Amino acid sequence: MRNIILGPLLRLVPVGLIALSIQRVLFAAHPVHDVKLQFVLALVVAAGAGGGSDRGAVAGFVLGLMYDMSGNTPLGLMALAYGVGGMTAGYVHTFTPDPQWWLASLFAFVGAAVGEAAVPIAEVITGEQGWLTSDVKWTIPIVALFAAIMCPLLMPVGRWMMGVKRKKWKAMLE
Amino acid sequence: MLSGLSRRRVLLLVVLTCVLLITLDKRGNPIIDQIRSVFARVVQPIDTATEAITLPLERAWNGISHYDDVQQQNEALWDQIQHMKGNDVEAKSAILEYRELLKLNQLTSKFQYKTVPATVVGASPSNFQNTVEINVGTRQGVDIGMPVTDGAGLIGRITKVFADRSIVLLITDPEYAVEAQVLSTPGSAATSTTTATEDTTLSGLPVSDLTSSTTSTSSTTTTTTQVLPPELTPITDPTQSTSTSTVTGSTTGPSAATTSSTLLEVVRETGSLEGQGAAKPMVLRFVDTTSSVTSVKIGAIVDTAGGNNSLAPQGIPIGTISRIERQTGSSSALVEVTPNASLQRLNFVAVVLYSPNQDAVGK
Repeated sequence: MRNIILGPLLRLVPVGLIALSIQRVLFAAHPVHDVKLQFVLALVVAAGAGGGSDRGAVAGFVLGLMYDMSGNTPLGLMALAYGVGGMTAGYVHTFTPDPQWWLASLFAFVGAAVGEAAVPIAEVITGEQGWLTSDVKWTIPIVALFAAIMCPLLMPVGRWMMGVKRKKWKAMLE
Repeated sequence: MLSGLSRRRVLLLVVLTCVLLITLDKRGNPIIDQIRSVFARVVQPIDTATEAITLPLERAWNGISHYDDVQQQNEALWDQIQHMKGNDVEAKSAILEYRELLKLNQLTSKFQYKTVPATVVGASPSNFQNTVEINVGTRQGVDIGMPVTDGAGLIGRITKVFADRSIVLLITDPEYAVEAQVLSTPGSAATSTTTATEDTTLSGLPVSDLTSSTTSTSSTTTTTTQVLPPELTPITDPTQSTSTSTVTGSTTGPSAATTSSTLLEVVRETGSLEGQGAAKPMVLRFVDTTSSVTSVKIGAIVDTAGGNNSLAPQGIPIGTISRIERQTGSSSALVEVTPNASLQRLNFVAVVLYSPNQDAVGK
């Protein structure tokens, strides 16, 4: 019972609701150079960088699904894009199980870029033409840079949300 | 949760679930609509709380960073208000004349449709969706496909509707398209000689009375250079050709009966207006590409064309033509239209209770 209550899914939903609300109220209303910074995506890639690619994919899926439910996108579209983004950021764990802040930020940058680029691609695949234009060359780096900057701050939240405990190194007993 | 599954299986499960959900939602699923509706209710109080927390911080930041800009903008707006007060009287009289002309020509306008006022409560959080959320829904009679306007003109159409809120797809979204018409009066071509071809009975006065007491009569040959605003020009020829008509003005009484003769040349071109993305002008694709090259000019007003398959009734202003680019090797031209409405700063809007053809909604 305790595992269920403290399990990742029940943490993901309330954290996701707050993140989504911040995105809708704050970041959607204040674009930077006509680009809306993606707070939810930043949280997803931070969770991925903190917990690995499988946890990143699940965080992306759940938060993306909530994003879809609150907006006009087909249900599952943002879930797919953010799932891919979270998974990409999580590949930092193939290099080291406990990445330094700058390495996590670097993978968060790549993960966010992949996640944001996946949105118009998925829209084109699902028949919603018109968004895969030259504008994405500005949108993607700005969104990715924001995610990279936010990564060190959001990584502890992402770890807690996914139920990941930081590894403690212990000296081996002789 | 994930310990029992390998990484590849988790990813595969995520991708397959997404594809399944997209397919179900695209085909239209009432359960998914219901879930969205419930989720909207759950999110609403959290949004309100977040807004309450962030608003003072936002205002403080804006106060520090934008104080000078706001002051300058305020002064400019005051100046604009003074100018608009003068224009207001003229505009009111023009609207009255416009309605009279519509009656005379037995035409309808958007004024026959009721509207539901609404407030914009949120914008799309995504960079790849151009939508806003408004605070009216099915309870207020709003339905999918209905056009939405603000004080300046058309802003979009309803794409999703819930009990007390709706999602509006803005006209700049690439998914948006509406039948539109260009109404323009050829600027310098208005100097010509014309004679009256029909009699018009005015204000209960017999035509004979008018002709005997006026200084300038409808049967007199007149030369005029006056070009009326497009709102006042009657739509003359549905076959998109240039035509000429004579309209006589109203009289104030038997002793002061006057008429004025005005030449109205209206160029009417119809086509499909499509969005290109946020902060970008829309593109107008004409039905008849050859005539558009010669007759359409920059600054011409574009409004909805109406028709059986249109998403909006006739006569809702959309914007003005801002750029025409002749295309080499083709008779057509790229015509860009800048919307009247400021889509980045929407606040109060109105949903026109016009139900378009269901085939058009599904397009």
